[in-house]
Amino acid sequence: MDICYKFSKESFLDFFKLMQSFGQVHAPVRVSEQSFSFRPVEKPEQIAFEALRTILPPKKMFFPQRETLISYSGKEVKDHTPEPLAQVLFGVHPCDLAGLGIMDNIFSAGPPDSHYLARRQATLVVGLSCMPDKHCFCNSMGTDFPHSAYDIFLTDIGEDYYLQIATTLGEKLFDPKPDFIKTIDDQDNQSYKDFWTNRDKAFTSNFKSDNLKQIFDLEKDNPVWEELGKRCLSCGNCTPVCPTCYCFDVIDVASLDGNSGSREREWDSCQFTGFAKVSGDFNFRPGPVDRLKFWYRHKLHGFDDSYGLKTCVGCGRCTVSCPADIDDIVGVVLRLQASQNESKKDESA
Amino acid sequence: MSTNQPLPRIAVHSLTGCAGELLVILENLDKLLPFVHVTSFPFAQGKNEIRPVDITFVEGSVSQPHDLEKLTELRANTRWLVAVGNCAVWGCVQRAGCNHCSVQKMIDAVYGTNSPIEALPAAPLDHYVPVDVKLSGCPIDATQFLAVTANLLRDHLPYVTHKPVCLECKLKENGCVLIEKNLPCLGPVTAAGCGALCPSVGAACYGCWGPCEEPQMEAMATILSEKGYQLDEVLGRLQAFGAPKELFVRLEKS
Ligand code: SF4
Ligand code: SF4
Ligand code: SF4
Ligand code: SF4
Repeated sequence: MDICYKFSKESFLDFFKLMQSFGQVHAPVRVSEQSFSFRPVEKPEQIAFEALRTILPPKKMFFPQRETLISYSGKEVKDHTPEPLAQVLFGVHPCDLAGLGIMDNIFSAGPPDSHYLARRQATLVVGLSCMPDKHCFCNSMGTDFPHSAYDIFLTDIGEDYYLQIATTLGEKLFDPKPDFIKTIDDQDNQSYKDFWTNRDKAFTSNFKSDNLKQIFDLEKDNPVWEELGKRCLSCGNCTPVCPTCYCFDVIDVASLDGNSGSREREWDSCQFTGFAKVSGDFNFRPGPVDRLKFWYRHKLHGFDDSYGLKTCVGCGRCTVSCPADIDDIVGVVLRLQASQNESKKDESA
Repeated sequence: MSTNQPLPRIAVHSLTGCAGELLVILENLDKLLPFVHVTSFPFAQGKNEIRPVDITFVEGSVSQPHDLEKLTELRANTRWLVAVGNCAVWGCVQRAGCNHCSVQKMIDAVYGTNSPIEALPAAPLDHYVPVDVKLSGCPIDATQFLAVTANLLRDHLPYVTHKPVCLECKLKENGCVLIEKNLPCLGPVTAAGCGALCPSVGAACYGCWGPCEEPQMEAMATILSEKGYQLDEVLGRLQAFGAPKELFVRLEKS
């Protein structure tokens, strides 16, 4: 059970200073007319509280776009497992918390990824409630409410933030309890419930997700795939922006002296033609349509193994980042479901 | 490496190009000099011998008969031939711009009739000789150039990325100019290597690195025409840096 308090929005600076006492604060900032990014911030005025989705999701904090794994010089091999400073990640919405939870599982499953985990363990995660726009569909994916992966969660209940503390790391921050932190009463609990009820009503993009697995199996030859595949640029924009895409490429970088070098990893994308290419120039997923279908299936049907985990958390990032407008997951699922209903009707007729 | 072992030998030459690659190599020569002997580099030094070397870097396209003679001689004298820059890898603007005119008409128009100038249709190196490594760029990126050299000095075939510019753009977390500003960005079909230079300053990529691996030209044309760009303008943009005709066969039919 979370420990709950509240604080007045007017005291946000006090809360911000408290976060700073833990470590460098990273929060969404505006980087263009339409886009936001998690960046280091020094004062609350820099934070874009209105940000729904950043270009890149929180994963970049723990699994950076490019990093050195090991380096060597002569016979000496150096391990580059980071020794990160304590930091705070502020403003993480429920879908991204769910994404973070999935990444935590993946990167800690054996053998654990020491680089990811070192950064993750040094980070205090502060969640923040949100109101959906037309691209959000976390309610369809069951990731619309904060369940895990946060230390602290703030819900906007009008003049105050309702404060949930989920971990001992979070608890420590409020020990001893600062003056601006207030106890909650029944009225506050009611405001909290009202917020989430109203938010639930604010979703405009929906599908029922109970038959997702089925429709991805049964509709694998649906004409929708060819139609989308023809438009796909194989640009790969849909995967770096996804909170649960974790694929990377490993590159050995030699130096001119022939005596030293490093091994680096960089984010990769299953949408690139070389991704599933093997020796003999054979490609398991040669065309854009194969790769696109694979990606949709991976996100919505789940891993084809014992995990059975759906990895889409409904954040809508792919939808807004696809130059070809073909990552409209809600639209595609609704079309596939409609075809299913059609064929069911045909059978019963 | 023991001191009395001779250093690996390199040669740097130019055919028809703008010397952009030569400048990048010159700027980085101090990093190479401890590890190589420069046997010939006419752009940078007075004493140049043509003799067998380990690595030869060639920039520029084959656009004149003496380019071809030079290339054939360089190929015969090198273990590794590296095409550097878009001209050498794809043929660049010479190939895109000049190859639909008759060579003789162009010579007459520019140099007058009866000039001693001779020309060939512009072509990348691999139209005439086997090329071991293709490092595109306009001009090439110094980090990529040094990495290619470091690998060849160890007799490793280097990894040169052919993923699209969009990857570098997204890794930098840029807002997408194709989506946000409707600019005709060719990042999705252009090979990475520049670090998404143009989109990083809010401009469209115009494709100077040449095509990425299996570029989706038709999809690119579809998306651009939906944004109001005319097909001939789109084709002009896509082909401006020498991308081969084969990539556009289906598109031109449509
Ligand atoms: S698949 Fe798209 S909507 Fe789903 S989590 Fe990934 S980026 Fe978000
Ligand atoms: S689905 Fe969209 S974002 Fe993804 S590779 Fe295709 S065109 Fe790019
Ligand atoms: S701005 Fe251009 S290079 Fe960058 S993601 Fe968009 S289309 Fe790709
Ligand atoms: S973004 Fe495109 S046009 Fe600009 S330097 Fe890179 S490849 Fe060339």
